[in-house]
Amino acid sequence: MSERLRNIVLLAIIATMAVLLVATVSTRPASEDRVGALGSQIKCPVCQGESIADSPSQMARDMMDLVAERVDRGFSDEAIIDELLASYSGAVLLDPPVSGATLALWLAPMVAIAIGVTVIVWWRRHPGDESTPGANGAPSRRRLLIGAIVLIAAFAGVVVVAANSLQEREGASAGVADLDDQDLSEVSNETLEAVIAANLDHPQINGMRLALAGRYYDAGDYRSAFPHYLAVAEDGTATGGEAVTSLVRLGWMAYDGNGEVGTANRLLDQALEIEPGSQIALYLKATVIWCGEGDAETATTILVGLLSDPDLAEESRTQIEADIARASGDEACA
Amino acid sequence: MMLAFLGSAGMAAALIGALLLVFRGIQSARGNESDLVRPARLLLSGAIASMVALELALLTDDFSVAYVANHHSTTTPFPFDVATAWAALEGSIVLWGLILAGFTWAALSRYRREPDSLGAAALAVMGAVAVFFFGLMLTVANPFEVCVNALEVGCAESSPWPFANVVAPAEGPGPNPLLQNHFLMAIHPPILYLGYVGMTVPFAYAIGALAIGVPGPEWLRRSHRSTLVAWSFLSLGIVLGGWWAYEVLSWGGYWAWDPVENASLMPWLLATAFIHSALVQQKRGMLQAWNFILVIGVFALTILGTFLTRSGTINSVHSFTQSAIGPALLGFLVLVLIGSFALFSMRSHVVATSPRVESFVSREGSFLINNLLLSVYGFVVLIGTVYPLLLEAFTGTQVGVGSPFFNRLAVPLSFLLLLVMGIGPLTPWQGSPKGQLWRRIRFPIAAGLSAGVLTSVFVSPVGWVVLSVAFGVYVVSGLAGLLLEQARSRAIKTGNTRWMEARQVVSRNQAFWAGQVSHIGVVLVVVGIAFAANLGSRAEVELEPGETVVFAGYTLVYESPFQVREPNRLVQGARLSVLRGDRFITTLEPRANFYGADTAGVVSPAVLSRPRGDLYVTLRDINSESVDLGLNTSPLIWMLWLGGLTTAAGGFWSVAIRRAERIRREERQIVDV
Repeated sequence: MSERLRNIVLLAIIATMAVLLVATVSTRPASEDRVGALGSQIKCPVCQGESIADSPSQMARDMMDLVAERVDRGFSDEAIIDELLASYSGAVLLDPPVSGATLALWLAPMVAIAIGVTVIVWWRRHPGDESTPGANGAPSRRRLLIGAIVLIAAFAGVVVVAANSLQEREGASAGVADLDDQDLSEVSNETLEAVIAANLDHPQINGMRLALAGRYYDAGDYRSAFPHYLAVAEDGTATGGEAVTSLVRLGWMAYDGNGEVGTANRLLDQALEIEPGSQIALYLKATVIWCGEGDAETATTILVGLLSDPDLAEESRTQIEADIARASGDEACA
Repeated sequence: MMLAFLGSAGMAAALIGALLLVFRGIQSARGNESDLVRPARLLLSGAIASMVALELALLTDDFSVAYVANHHSTTTPFPFDVATAWAALEGSIVLWGLILAGFTWAALSRYRREPDSLGAAALAVMGAVAVFFFGLMLTVANPFEVCVNALEVGCAESSPWPFANVVAPAEGPGPNPLLQNHFLMAIHPPILYLGYVGMTVPFAYAIGALAIGVPGPEWLRRSHRSTLVAWSFLSLGIVLGGWWAYEVLSWGGYWAWDPVENASLMPWLLATAFIHSALVQQKRGMLQAWNFILVIGVFALTILGTFLTRSGTINSVHSFTQSAIGPALLGFLVLVLIGSFALFSMRSHVVATSPRVESFVSREGSFLINNLLLSVYGFVVLIGTVYPLLLEAFTGTQVGVGSPFFNRLAVPLSFLLLLVMGIGPLTPWQGSPKGQLWRRIRFPIAAGLSAGVLTSVFVSPVGWVVLSVAFGVYVVSGLAGLLLEQARSRAIKTGNTRWMEARQVVSRNQAFWAGQVSHIGVVLVVVGIAFAANLGSRAEVELEPGETVVFAGYTLVYESPFQVREPNRLVQGARLSVLRGDRFITTLEPRANFYGADTAGVVSPAVLSRPRGDLYVTLRDINSESVDLGLNTSPLIWMLWLGGLTTAAGGFWSVAIRRAERIRREERQIVDV
């Protein structure tokens, strides 16, 4: 085949294939998985850098369930994201917008490309020119020295200011120790959240979390209570009592809030493993089994066992006896 | 106590060795030759002693050592008891120190064969870096503190003085559950560290060359070779890290643009740029200043990466002020940058000016564009990683920068790199004769486009998938065409078969073809990622025992739950039979492992790997009645692992060739004498 013919054949193939490629290729995303796409834009609050679509943690899965439910109900992407960001502290958007605080983030790579291209073009036009900037030629000694010093001074300045501003902000926001002197009931939920966020590694942080979560729990705001109980339950340094309280409440919220009988049972069992005779765990377990699974018999056994606990308060005893009476009478659970 | 003493003494000896190495190295570089072997030997033996002490303390359950008390437990099985040595901050710095001492010893062996002032100066620089790391170990990150106040499990208070009044706990909590869940934990960190720490060697030659004022080709040759060594390990370490994440973290992914991963990718990108730009200087005398900048940048990025991942800054900006290791590493980083660039500007008058690039359609032209793309790539990863930290530190505003940001910039940059990768190897230095590039590239373009069309029609029309195949075929067929063209022209001269001549072509220019092996590895990685990321499917199912589900062509039968108590953990899982049609394939056992008091459990996926891709099953929830399972498929994901290994293999081949060349050269010299 002559060189010319070969050129023509290959050019024809290239042109045909290019047209076919443009015609057949799809620019749509692989799947219409809106739930997954939305989930991958939200940072999981209890993980490191993972999105809620990727994280296996309980919280991320609850958030994904919420996303799926909202998608089913036809909410817009923006509405779902806004809701998630508003209702979970620590959830942030992983896809930074091209505006506001993250505008510079998007511009920086573009500027870097522009500078790189400029330098290369300049260098091609002025080879070996003493005044070639930065990257390629051999710049004059003085210019380079000044440039390097300015750059490094800027870098060091950034570091110093960042470290200082961190210390200042830590000083400004109240520490756990400062709060110990105050009556916690006078401190707002927002302040407590801020203190907790700023003192994640503090040894006494679990107590503060439980106090705050307790308020949310009492107010029926399970969604806000959830991350705090979860954090305490997953914290290896929590005391047994703290862990039991968190697990019991998580269990009850799973049942009462989401109707998840299995999860509730598992969490309550975990609590009972730590503290086998926990009255509240046993009582709630009986309730879950009775109301959730409709198994009045097992529930009665647990409740009767609970009655034999000598430390049971009189008030609770009356309540439990009433429950047993109704359970054995096959009445609907309370 | 004995072991704590041995470890502390080892660290102290290593520090003294490193200090001596700095002083004597400077002396030797100035022409007063003095003994460098003994300081280097002291450094190495001290580093070995401290590592041995740490391992012995772990293997003998010596809870008087606070590190052991806090990160080990009597029930931790092999090999995780050994790997615990690098599972936490203090221990990982011991490993760092040991590897640094090993590389210093390798540089010293080279110096003994060819003593010159460049080698001596480089050893002084390596000694200085070792002084920092062993100083760190003896002060803010001491792994041999003894426990003076025990908890029931673990240590409450420790003292750096080995003869303090020891109160050892009877048991420790064991390593982080995530880190004792897969054997890769035993090999991935050491290999990654070989890559990280190995980047100290090229840096040392660069600084050494600037210090003695001889920025000639010699430092570049040595830096290039040592970068290849470190780069190969780093490539391997990154792939093993992705594989570990895939096998352990149970979300079916391998790369999350997590700061820890980014910390390893940034030096890899710049080192890749340097491997190419060093060739430009060797062949054409260009980019001399740029090469210094790159080598210094790679080293600075390894320190920055260590700072980001080891100071706790990523978890919370606030942990920066709580531990002294963060400020120490950041201070060292600033020192490295200021020192290096001050030295560079003082010596810039001896850095030669560059000749002009005649044409961009040349090897050096494509390397120039490759360097631009890789530098921008590295910059994107850097700014995406540190921007949220800086913004939060300054303004308190929390922003997330996650995979959507990185993917949007990294994916186009990767494809641009492939585009240049298809041209670079086909163009000779100083530009090709008229029409040569077109003759060589017309077929790869046609082949790539055709492969793209076939993929789009028969496999999937998803854009990134089609593009990855098209670019992959374009790069690989270009290389195949080049090999064929050279073999054919030789065969015409010699009369041998083309096949024989093709082998000749490769063996005569092994350095070039080793690089092409790495290129093919990169192509495989891109195709693997494109398929796994775009064509996988996901489902979540709830099954009762005996129930079946059909997913992605497989039939899964939930046989039964199971529970096993092992010494260090309780394993709960679900047993599933996997069938394809009626044919039984295998049993999968996704599970959750519960370590010690950890109630959440670490989920451990079960993976079925087949040529078409993986079936990936994770346990979501299990109770006596039913099991919740997460099901994923990752088509062609094996290409990603294979590609990563191929990339590293190309690097190791390059290292081996250069080593063989050096030995031949030395033998010739001996004959000449």
